[in-house]
Amino acid sequence: MLGDLINPYYLQVGSFIMINIILGLSIYITLSSGQLSLGSAGFMGIGAYTSALLTINYDLPIIVGVIAGALVAGIIGILIGIPSLRLTGVYLAIATLGFGEVMRVFLVNWESVTKGSVGLSGIPQIGRELLKFSRDSGFSPMSIGLKNNQFVYLMVLLILVIINILLIWFLIRQNKSRVGRAFAAIKMDEKAAEAMGINITYYKVLSFAQGAILSGFAGALFAHVMGYISPADFSYHRAVDILIYAVFGGSEVIWGSIFGAAFMTLLPEVLRFISEYRYLIYGLVLVLMMAFRPQGIIDVPLLQKLHLTKRRSKHGSKN
Amino acid sequence: MVLKINNVSKNFGGISALTDISFSINKGEIFGLIGPNGAGKTTMFNCITSIFPPSSGEILFLDENITGIKPHKITNKGICRTFQNIRLFSQMSVLENVLVGGHSQSHSGVFSGVFRTKSQRNEEEKLRSTARELLELVGLSEFEDAVAENLAYGQQRRLEIARALASDPKLLLLDEPAAGMNDTETADLYYLIKKVQERGVTTLLIEHDMPLVMRLCDRITVLNFGKKLAEGTPEEIQNNQEVIEAYLGSEGDDDIA
Amino acid sequence: MLLEQIINGITLGSIYAIVALGFTLVFGVLGIINMAHGEIFMFGAFIGVTVTSTLGLPIWMAFLAAIAATAILGYLLEQFALRPLRGKKGVSHLAPLISTIGVSIFLENLSHHLFGAGNHPFKSSFAEIHYTIGSITIYLVQILIFVISVILMIALSYWLSKTKAGKALRATAENLETASILGVNTKQIITLTVIIASAMGGIAGILVGMAFNSVNPQMGLSIGLKGLAIIILGGMGNVKGAMAGGLILGLAETFIVAYGDSGYRDAIAFIAIIVILLIRPQGLFGKKTSEGRP
Ligand SMILES: Nc1ncnc2c1ncn2[C@@H]1O[C@H](COP(=O)(O)OP(=O)(O)O)[C@@H](O)[C@H]1O
Ligand SMILES: [Mg+2]
Repeated sequence: MLGDLINPYYLQVGSFIMINIILGLSIYITLSSGQLSLGSAGFMGIGAYTSALLTINYDLPIIVGVIAGALVAGIIGILIGIPSLRLTGVYLAIATLGFGEVMRVFLVNWESVTKGSVGLSGIPQIGRELLKFSRDSGFSPMSIGLKNNQFVYLMVLLILVIINILLIWFLIRQNKSRVGRAFAAIKMDEKAAEAMGINITYYKVLSFAQGAILSGFAGALFAHVMGYISPADFSYHRAVDILIYAVFGGSEVIWGSIFGAAFMTLLPEVLRFISEYRYLIYGLVLVLMMAFRPQGIIDVPLLQKLHLTKRRSKHGSKN
Repeated sequence: MVLKINNVSKNFGGISALTDISFSINKGEIFGLIGPNGAGKTTMFNCITSIFPPSSGEILFLDENITGIKPHKITNKGICRTFQNIRLFSQMSVLENVLVGGHSQSHSGVFSGVFRTKSQRNEEEKLRSTARELLELVGLSEFEDAVAENLAYGQQRRLEIARALASDPKLLLLDEPAAGMNDTETADLYYLIKKVQERGVTTLLIEHDMPLVMRLCDRITVLNFGKKLAEGTPEEIQNNQEVIEAYLGSEGDDDIA
Repeated sequence: MLLEQIINGITLGSIYAIVALGFTLVFGVLGIINMAHGEIFMFGAFIGVTVTSTLGLPIWMAFLAAIAATAILGYLLEQFALRPLRGKKGVSHLAPLISTIGVSIFLENLSHHLFGAGNHPFKSSFAEIHYTIGSITIYLVQILIFVISVILMIALSYWLSKTKAGKALRATAENLETASILGVNTKQIITLTVIIASAMGGIAGILVGMAFNSVNPQMGLSIGLKGLAIIILGGMGNVKGAMAGGLILGLAETFIVAYGDSGYRDAIAFIAIIVILLIRPQGLFGKKTSEGRP
């Protein structure tokens, strides 16, 4: 019964949507203070490799690896962010783009550790570990009518959904707080924000580091869902994918990049023929969105129409 | 003495926007800074609030040298300003603008903000009630939910004042608050600035509306081409020959008296 | 050996400089980073390959075709990706950046579909001509590249400072509004700027094709990134800085390939960016503005 309804392929697509939503959140949170980072793919790579190497080489539990991956990405984010923030937004975009490329170069060349462009395989997978754990504790997926692989994919998806809910809750709460107001103020008018006593360097680094942590976190999860990674997974194209989530979905409200990530992950799955022309279409989407709807598909008025938010005024900050 | 300007000069490339300016403001005063367009008044504000540092000279606030420190630190020390070309957070609501103004009066960080600790909730509560009280003061209570950019011009100017007051400044810098206001609004502005004075706030006022300046200010400094032309009480300024000439020499909209 | 490396470095650096000049020109006038510049360069290189290798036509025809094609691309870029954003209310300063990233992705993948993914050799007997002086081999192409880049730079400097169009361009670069009040046709000047910058990209594309005998769709990204690195290195919107920055990067890369670990060649540019941003944010040749932000 339950087993007939669950197609592992759909579950896996669902998992990718969840991971991509985290990436969408990472670019959203940096944009929420008015900064464009093109380094998400690089931070994702740092998170993925850090966690993969720690779990492969030192047998650390996945959860420790994932947290370490996110933290290392965050620390490097701070190191990259501080010098770039001394100048205008354009420099940050270039510096982060360059950083992504440097990361890729290092991953390819540091062969003794990263196995070069072949990449790492045999990374402990969340699903398998869960299966092992449930077996050890005497639970069999068969008892609820599931095959092993159905159980594995279902559990992974469930975990990712829970993580996403927590992250979205966290970010919405943050948006409605003093920190969120400071981000929004900096985005709207940096000079005025500064004149209101906001330490713009601190808040810009904070939002940039949060973005890096989220990217690193998503990368680490990606590694432990896929089981293998290579530098190509974290190339410039990945950075463009992530940028599209926010630009297409909407960069002013959190639901925008969530929608963008889900939609853009599903699209090539649903329309197979698109996949070959994917980046041609992405390119056009970026140009057209900037010309006709720079705020993205989902914006505040649309949310109000859909009654997804209370009238914005009620709770202050947009979310 | 609240503010003391010592021999401040500011050059932009070849232009000297301010040359060797000194003046000082006493506690509780409404101090006027006037002069024709391009005289360097806004530049003086920008130096005081560290938008850029002066080329030379020093600025003392409550006997402390604040020359060239970071702008947000200046606000934390108790100086806040409005902008000549209104710079509200245009897509935020009116109330949110004032809440941002209260940034320096609050402390909660990421975790207390997300998990809404007790102290964070108290702080937020206090910020909101202060903000509402300030909106009441500037007469914008009924618009607290409106988006800032949808307000009328004069309302936006008053919102800027409320936002600045939210930082609980000891010294308030107003850059042409009456610009674009009609007569009734200007009349209201007079009482607003007086009320601000009653709250114990010292005000440095840039304004072109001479009747307003003359009625409000305790003392006035006149700038012309970046130089200090005169300083004195409204009466002294109105009778100063050099000042009259400077104003007659410039465009008509700056009529003195 | 050392001399040969220096020659190689100068060759590479000259190409980088031309690419960087294209970025600088657009940044100087429009204040935006044209992220599609690298891909326009790559298109120029492919036009060169097509004309010489596929059609078997002489090299000067390749130059003409590449200049024409990239100029048209520049025109289209301005018309469809930049103009719609200009002067529109509420458009963030990030919009042109994102829009040109869109164009770059589009062009890269278009060339994938048109020309195929792999490396294309640049077959030209011209590229084989070389001279041996003592122990040093120097290719005619290398000399040509250096000469062309110097000519381009001098021509550009002369054109900017002396001619009427150039003066209008500089007026526009200083201040768009003032320039239009002074009667400069800013719309025309902007279009012209983007076209010239793109055509310079096209020329650089062919030169690279000849020098390295290889052209592929990804080269736009890698060269584009270096061009960006150079303008940060040399100071945004600074012509001399672009030239000097290009030569410095070209020499640095050549030396690391010759005497260090060639794998890290592509990382130099960005390590340089970070260092520059830390110690001299206005770039090596940029003037410090009073606010420290251009
Ligand atoms: N950021 C700046 N860069 C260059 N020149 C400036 C800048 N700010 C002001 N100026 C110049 O300084 C002079 C004084 O300007 P300002 O202080 O705005 O005058 P006011 O406020 O008295 O009308 C003017 O000539 C103006 O052009
Ligand atoms: Mg002024």
